[in-house]
Amino acid sequence: MSIMKNIVYIRMRHRIQVKENHRIRVKDVARIIASKEQTHRLEEIPVYTVTKQDQNTIVIDCMAVISAIRKYEKDLEIQPIGPAQTIVEVIYRIRKPSMILFFLAWLVLFIGSAITIMNFHEDVSMQKVQQKLYFLLTGIKEDKPLIFQIPYSFGLGLGMVLFFNHVFKKRFNEEPSPLEVEMNNYQQAVDQYIIMHENKESVKKIYD
Amino acid sequence: MIKMLGVVIVSLSAGVAVGGGFVAFITVLGIIPRMMQLTKTARKIVLYEAAVIFGAIFGSYVSLFEPQFSIPPIFLLAIGLCYGIFVGSLAAALTEVLNVFPILAKRIHLEEKIIYLIGAVVFGKICGSLFHWLYFITL
Repeated sequence: MSIMKNIVYIRMRHRIQVKENHRIRVKDVARIIASKEQTHRLEEIPVYTVTKQDQNTIVIDCMAVISAIRKYEKDLEIQPIGPAQTIVEVIYRIRKPSMILFFLAWLVLFIGSAITIMNFHEDVSMQKVQQKLYFLLTGIKEDKPLIFQIPYSFGLGLGMVLFFNHVFKKRFNEEPSPLEVEMNNYQQAVDQYIIMHENKESVKKIYD
Repeated sequence: MIKMLGVVIVSLSAGVAVGGGFVAFITVLGIIPRMMQLTKTARKIVLYEAAVIFGAIFGSYVSLFEPQFSIPPIFLLAIGLCYGIFVGSLAAALTEVLNVFPILAKRIHLEEKIIYLIGAVVFGKICGSLFHWLYFITL
């Protein structure tokens, strides 16, 4: 039982946000399980202080946390569980999304997708295909088969909405849409990159 | 006779290549899984495959043999809508494969407003398509 008491389980958080000049303590970067009186003491141990040179992201390695704890508590057995590091995002000022930028992006997407769909129609000679199809299906010659084309146009939008599943989310199911999965994949790829490329530097900084 | 056999072999090979390519394209874009996910009918996967295969065969039949039907034009509303939904999913899937939204939203710090960006693309497609059929082709 006495051995059990000295084991500390430590699990690094995945990603945290801190303010400038923040003194990162163990409780910020990790969750720990230890005996009641120890937990509180260990959580307050400082690990790292954010400085201007750190810029936007720092990676705090599990090793750094362990060595910080060991400075204060020599004979603890520390058991790390889960991710080996925490990505620390330094927020210098709360950035408000710019409405102008948003509007511009909106306009680019709107005009861009409108013109690409027109180019696509021309590219695959959709007008000719639809005229021919209209004739084959109904037996009537029609230069502008609008009864075919207008539902097509609205279906185009409906198909995109269904694919991204935002509007009908509550009605169909709670599963994430492909876009949400894609956003998550992208974020994970970025995190992976940061872990690989920022980690060496930040570990070196702590020890020098 | 030999010539005919040669033609059959060549056209059969061409058909296999095109059919394989078509299925591969649909699969990569993940439209069928998406439809199954939305309708919660993943167990009917075989029927969905059949739908795509028969659709492709029927399409080749119509375009090669040019049979004459006399469906009342009003039914083309439904056919046109299905046609549009399919092309729309195709376009959405392509945008998604190319990772446009995640990168754009991150660049301009708009992770929460991404739905409006999707809205821009959706309205853009509808407007562009209507403009094309109603006005552009008459020029």
